[in-house]
Amino acid sequence: MDIELIEIQEFLTRHPPFDQLPAATLNRLPKQLTIRYFRRGLPFPPTDIDSPQLYILRKGAIELRNAQNELIGKLAEGDLYEQLCRHAVAEESGSTAEDTLVYMLSCTDLAQLCRDHSAFASYFEQSPSHRLRQALDVMVAAPASNIGLMTVPVRAMIQRVPITTTPNLSIRKAAQIMSEHRVSSLLIMDGEQLVGMVTDRDLRSRCIAVGLPTEQPVSEIMTRTLHTVDMDTLGFQALITMTRLNVHHLPVLDGERVAGLLSSTDLTRFQSANSVYLVGDIHRASSVATLAQISSKIEELQVHLISSGATANAIGQAVSAITDALTLRLLELGEQTLGAPPVPYAWLVGGSQARREQSSHSDQDNALLLADHVQPEDDVYFAALAKFVNDGLNVCGFVHCPGEVMASNSKWRQPLRVWHKYFMHWIMRPEPLALMLSSVFFDLRSLYDPANLYAGLQEKLLEQARSNQLFLAYLTANALKTRPPLGFFRNIVLIQGGDHDHTFDIKHRGTVPIIDLARVSALAASIPETNTLERLKAAADCGALSRDGAANLCDALEFIGTLRMRHQAQQLRTGQKADNFVSPDALSPLERGHLKEAFVLIHAMQEALGQRYQAGKFG
Amino acid sequence: MPMLLDWQRHWLARRASPGALRDYLQQPLVAARTDYRAVDYVAVDLETTGLDSRRDLILSVGYVTLRGMSIDLSTARHRVVRIDRSIPESSAIIHQITDDQTARGSELSAVLSEFLAELAGKVLIAHHASIEQRFLSTACRQLWNCGLPLRIVDTQALALRTFERRQIPFKVSDLRLHSLGHRYNLPRYAAHNALSDALAAAELFLAQAAHRADGRGLRLAEFLC
Repeated sequence: MDIELIEIQEFLTRHPPFDQLPAATLNRLPKQLTIRYFRRGLPFPPTDIDSPQLYILRKGAIELRNAQNELIGKLAEGDLYEQLCRHAVAEESGSTAEDTLVYMLSCTDLAQLCRDHSAFASYFEQSPSHRLRQALDVMVAAPASNIGLMTVPVRAMIQRVPITTTPNLSIRKAAQIMSEHRVSSLLIMDGEQLVGMVTDRDLRSRCIAVGLPTEQPVSEIMTRTLHTVDMDTLGFQALITMTRLNVHHLPVLDGERVAGLLSSTDLTRFQSANSVYLVGDIHRASSVATLAQISSKIEELQVHLISSGATANAIGQAVSAITDALTLRLLELGEQTLGAPPVPYAWLVGGSQARREQSSHSDQDNALLLADHVQPEDDVYFAALAKFVNDGLNVCGFVHCPGEVMASNSKWRQPLRVWHKYFMHWIMRPEPLALMLSSVFFDLRSLYDPANLYAGLQEKLLEQARSNQLFLAYLTANALKTRPPLGFFRNIVLIQGGDHDHTFDIKHRGTVPIIDLARVSALAASIPETNTLERLKAAADCGALSRDGAANLCDALEFIGTLRMRHQAQQLRTGQKADNFVSPDALSPLERGHLKEAFVLIHAMQEALGQRYQAGKFG
Repeated sequence: MPMLLDWQRHWLARRASPGALRDYLQQPLVAARTDYRAVDYVAVDLETTGLDSRRDLILSVGYVTLRGMSIDLSTARHRVVRIDRSIPESSAIIHQITDDQTARGSELSAVLSEFLAELAGKVLIAHHASIEQRFLSTACRQLWNCGLPLRIVDTQALALRTFERRQIPFKVSDLRLHSLGHRYNLPRYAAHNALSDALAAAELFLAQAAHRADGRGLRLAEFLC
């Protein structure tokens, strides 16, 4: 009847786990609370309270420290302190970091609530990592159908078992089979082996148009070099492959086995954002100006994807795929202008593009790897090619790298043997510059490499890095320099003053620490992957990271990364320039809570890795 | 002076008509020399049809008790009073109590009886307490032929003293309940009703006392009007 405590009730409703309680219980709950006020700098929990209590922070901030007086957590609005309901004596000691108002619920009342409401009780049984996973699930729960391609693997798109036949069947019989099954393509199998494919178009252009007798075996007109996709390829990536190759069918493999055939109509059923077709436009573009025009839609794509519920990884994959396409097209255009290259070369990408974690305003990191027999006079060609691509990317919105880590810089346009020397030097004698460059050059991917120059270099560097403990220790120490802003809320670890007053840098303090941890783990275990999630999964598979630890970091990266993308989408929508400075006030109490738990997890993993690779000695 | 007040209470207790007020008057007032932390308080706010206690009526009463410098929300009450005239539109806008609600309300005597039973032996907290004091006293006189002696902590008067003592320049609007709450990092209550204002005053007092006393024991007298 006293509905007037409704504001306290509403406050509780906004904060887990109280949101799990039925309305009738929530109605009564405020009456079970008492309110206390503590000035800043006082010990917490207070000692003058007779019976143990659950503390619910209403306003203010509390810092918690362990026995070694290390900061282990901070409580902000809506946070709970339930330690006294678990153990008679608090394990941590805390103090109020601000003037603080708390609601208190007696542990007896809490126990009763837990007995009556299992969903509520489970909150107190769950670990923070479990809670984070749930939060992530909620955030990306219902991706709208128009981004299906972003998140749905090919596995879920192929409709039925592929129609197949043998190579020696006649063209006429093959056409009959296709008519009978109403399909536009036929896979040609030699036993278990996929040897080719025939499509309507092949029948038309390679048989009828050239007057080939239909009694000829179908192998005469089949396409032999087939591009295939894996079952787990995302629909979006399959679409990119199709557009690039200008084909409408892709055989889908499950390991070695043919699992099905993906047609472009299968993809259009998962109607995708129009902007996803950007990649197709890129391959048709014939000038840098056209490419720039196409690129101007990347921001729009990013905003669209995030508002449709895509995760940071999905967006990173999409934007990086577009940058890859842009780079490849620029290389083609460059070669058209400059002529064929004098010696084979590989175009290497580094940083976020290599990790497939780009966003629309990333800068470019790239390098040129030249075949060893390159002559000094050939550099004119490669310098021009590099400049063409670097400038082209710049015009397309991927601005010049401030550190000049670009192929147009002669230092990063070198023959294979020099690159070998570079890497051995970085690994054998880790110095600040090498560590600074590690986020670029130890996340390297060869984007265009027809002569397969990079594979040998990569193999060598992975082998060296793994066996060099000193290098790993330095790299780890470097990775631990960036700590999550554990007390990010309010005046504690927020940026004070300047253009970014009262914010924290969600990239530098949030996602970068995870990316760094993944790199260390990958290099320590010779994992060739560059994408952070893939690195973490591979590290868990080979035991370089604990399974839980890796899974927690993956969840934390997706959660923080997705918050970051949302922040940027919001800025882009309102016509601002996207940045990484997030105000905690812009997050919901729930998001703030989960973000903090994510930070705690990262911190714990940093500690674990620091121990493992003895970073302390070199920090 | 406080002694005088308690003597007055004694004297009134013999004069008052039987009922809630006489029961209230049987309880001694809290001694002003008591450590403020050992005192029980009731924070109260009234919504009225206007500011003139002789002509205007009490529409609702909200209150909550503090013990050991903790607000005990189980004691929170909000009571709407039944009145026999329609509410002027100007005041209805502020407190959002409608004619329908007052028609369903309780008799003033019942509301005040319940309130006085809670208040007995405790100190009253209100923001700009003279309004509460005047309206409560007038009502008691009408119902039980006798005024209401009170120990009063006025959170607005405390704020004014702090500003003046520290020579902080201030505007009148800085003395409002919500502005002061913000100054002390207290939650902001969007709703404007007697209970949420009583609660806000109670929280403000906790903050003011914590800042004033700074961990020391102070005499209640330091906070009284």
